[in-house]
Order: sequence, then C-alpha cells, then structure tokens
Amino acid sequence: MIADSSETSNRAAARLQAEQADRSVRLIPVGGGKGGVGKSFVVANLAASLARAGSRVVAVDGDLEGANLHTCLGVPKPRISLADFVAQREEDLQKLILETPIANLQLIAATDGNLATPQPNHSRRIRFLRSLRNLDADFVFIDLGAGTHAAVMDYFMIGEDGVVVIAPEPTSVENAYSFIRAAFYRRLRLAMVSHDVRKIVTTAMDQRNERGIRTPLDLLREIQSLDSAEGARFVETMRAFRPRLIINGVRTAEEIKLGFSIRSVCRKYFGIDAEYLGYVNNDDAARESVRVRRPLVDLHPQSDAAIYLARIARKLLAGNSATREDSA
Amino acid sequence: MKSLSEQNHYEILETHPEASDQEIERAYRLSLTTYADESLAGYSVFAEGDAAALRERIEAAYRVLSDEQSRSEYDASVGVESNSEVAGPAVALADSSPLPEVAERTPLPINFAELDDGTGGDFDGARLRRYRMRCGLEVEDIAAVTKINTTYLLFIEEERFPDLPAPVYVRGFVGAYASCLGLDSRRVATSYMRRFDARREERRKGRFFESH
Repeated sequence: MIADSSETSNRAAARLQAEQADRSVRLIPVGGGKGGVGKSFVVANLAASLARAGSRVVAVDGDLEGANLHTCLGVPKPRISLADFVAQREEDLQKLILETPIANLQLIAATDGNLATPQPNHSRRIRFLRSLRNLDADFVFIDLGAGTHAAVMDYFMIGEDGVVVIAPEPTSVENAYSFIRAAFYRRLRLAMVSHDVRKIVTTAMDQRNERGIRTPLDLLREIQSLDSAEGARFVETMRAFRPRLIINGVRTAEEIKLGFSIRSVCRKYFGIDAEYLGYVNNDDAARESVRVRRPLVDLHPQSDAAIYLARIARKLLAGNSATREDSA
Repeated sequence: MKSLSEQNHYEILETHPEASDQEIERAYRLSLTTYADESLAGYSVFAEGDAAALRERIEAAYRVLSDEQSRSEYDASVGVESNSEVAGPAVALADSSPLPEVAERTPLPINFAELDDGTGGDFDGARLRRYRMRCGLEVEDIAAVTKINTTYLLFIEEERFPDLPAPVYVRGFVGAYASCLGLDSRRVATSYMRRFDARREERRKGRFFESH
C-alpha cells in the first residue's frame, strides 16, 4: 500500500492536472479493473487505427506486472522498457520509445519489470506522467494494468478521456464499477481542500462506512452541510469526470445494450455521467490477429471487429478536434 | 445531481421531453432490462429491494408518458414545454431532505444512432448484421416478423450464396429483412443482389473454364 495523502503530492497531482489542459498531446488512459477483458487488444487497435489515419501516436504499456502491448503490436521482446524508468536507470522517457511495424505508431514497452517493486513510487509516477505529456505525439494511449492500485488510478486520472474496457460478463462488470468508483473518489479527494472534508471522502471510499454514505449524492450532502465551497468543488469535479465505456467481445444485441445499462446505473447510483463510446464484437478475426501479433485494423481492416474499432477511433479523433476548437 | 425521488418521469426513463413515442418505448424497455433483478449491469450494485423500487418508478413513469393524453397533462403540470429544459420535479417527494441548488445537466437521451458505423458502400451481409445489432435485434426477432427461417437470415448475413435459394427468393428475403430494420428495402435489396449476382456469375464462369 502506498501512502499518497501527503499534502505535497496532492498538490503536485493537482498541478499536473492543470498543466494537462495546455498541452496539445492527448493522453488516453485505458483501464477496466479486470484482467483479460482485452485492454491491450483495444489499445493496440485504437492506436493503430489513429496512426493509419495520419495521427502521430505513442502507445505506452503501463502494465509493469503483465506487459503484453508489445506483442499485440508485433514488436519483438524489447530490451528497453518503462521498467528502466521506474528503476531510475533511464531518466528520459523519449529514449525508451520503440518503433512498431506501423507507420506513425511508436511504443513504450513495460517488459522486464522488477517483480519485487514493479510500481513506481508516487513522485516517480508524477515524473512519468509529466514526461508523457512532453512526448512528441498527437495521442498517447496508456494501457493500464488490472486492479485499482494507487498507481493505476493515478494514470487513469491523467486525462479527462479515461476509457474503461468491459467484457459482457458479471466479473468484468463488477470490477468496472469498483474501478470507476475508485477513480472518482481518488479524483475527488485530490480536488478537496479542507482536511476534514478529505477525511470524509476517505471514509466514503470504504463501502461499509459507518456514516451510511453509499453514493456520491450522500457524500455531497454530507460535505455541503460542512462547507459549501467544498460542495461546489465537489459538483465541479463530478461534472468533469466522464469515464468512457467500451464493451469488448459482444456476441448478441442484448450485450450491446449493456453499455447503455451501465451508463444508466452509473448515473442513477453514482451520479457519474459515463459515455458509451462503442462496442467491439466477438470475432474470430480478432483472435487470429492476436495470434499473428498484428493489430486487427491492420491485418483485416474489413472485418466486423475492425470496423467497430475504427469507428471508436474516429470518435476519439472527433473529440480531439472539438477540444482544440474550444481552446482556440 | 438529483436523487431518484427528485427526478421527473423523463429523467427516470433517461429520455427527454421531446422524445417520440418510439423513443419513450425504447427507453422504457432498456430501463426494464437494466433494472431487472438479475441484470448484468446492476446485480453487483443493487442493494436488496433497490431494483424493485426502481422498476416501480419506471413503470409509473411509463404509464404516464406512454399515453398521449396523460403525457400532455403531465407536461402541463410540471411546466414542460417543447424545446424547454426539463423543469423541476412536481412529483410527490418521498425524500424531504433539502435539495441543493445544483444546475442539472440534462441527461443525454439514449441513442443507438450515436453508435452508427458511418461506413457507406454496398449493403453486404456484414453491414446488415451490424445494423441489426445496432437496432438491438436478434436474428430470431427478424424471423418472427418476416417469417423467414433464421438459417436463411444467417446465410444472408454470412453471404453463403450457394446455400441460398433462387435469386427471386433471396431478393424478397433481403428486402423484408431491410424493411424490418427500418431501411429502404429496395435500395438494400438491389445493392445486395448486385453482390449475389456477381458471385454467381463468377461461379458460372469458373465452371465454364473448367469444362473446356
């Protein structure tokens, strides 16, 4: 367990979030809580899809304990990786960049992590996230590991566009909710200023808390009764938090609707406004692409799953131009 | 942000005051799926009795909004007008805790069109399947309406042309399938049959060369 509630690191993280707004590189963290739902497959294909469309893309494997993004992208086992940055053998993230077989698409792998301490400590994470933002690219995807470890949540918070990949099965859906909740509470705790309020948020993160706080709405009322300025910040934070859902591996029309249902539950239960970005169907072509270690959008661009993936990529691209117009 | 008891009928169904009857119907059906007891999206979140309570609210909302007269009465009573923002709740509030003054973001309507594949070109089997799935329909649903055997429907989607019956039947099947999805049946059938005929022609030529 990593202690992360110190005042300085909180401020550093908040500053980091502010810096994000000014940069033109778009960071897209992709998580989901559960392993094996196809995060790396989705990241590899969205990255390849945008690269094929002419964007400059860097795909970063953030999964130091189960690296396999390089395999999805057809890069042979790399000698340098994020592990070198974590172990402070390499300070310049730029030097860890590898070329992939796809034009415009580069990779930072995560192979050969130190199994004893795979995750970087908090200050190292801040440095990592800042370096990501300085990469020379239009899009930077971060493929997150499983679970809701503090490091994973920090990476997920880096962009406003965090993507949650979900498989249409109970275990994955359950973990996705834990993941979204964890991300939300962590973001919230960073946004709150007062020590007392932050303590309440920490209490609320425990689902069986004694104050009977079950949903963010309960929490909001609790905070508002204490401090109205914090209440306003709470509402702001909640509004800015917009996880985006991808359902991977759908077989039936019923499973396509799952994305809408999860969006509804997020709204009704957590007050969180998620966006249903799209779905990818269960496709033999997808399995084949993993086997031959080539992104599906590159191997079989006309397959169903590739068309769905390209469609999601187009949505990300459209979101990108909209943000830029806003800031112009 | 409003608690459930503070939400009006439109918000409960996650639709909007300008929604068509069809949209209300779709929103209602989706809500029922979402808040069914064993719902995949909900079971890990629902506390005991939650889903039942929600379904009751959903049914109440649907009863009012599915009937033209009761809907317009309701709209008038809560001050909803066309093109206006959703007004505050007028339903009896079970929950009497003070309501914070929070500007509410209007919920986004449920919209399958936002998942549109946007690809143009021929109406091939794969595209028909994508449309079908986007509409939230299973092959069995199409079969129930069109009375076309599910096997043929799947052959159409998979473009297993040699396994399909004579062209005149296929044209009819594809047209019926398309109109079932709300597509222009003639356009789809013409486009599909172009592929069908071309493939047949290829096969015929293939045989011709083999025999000489």
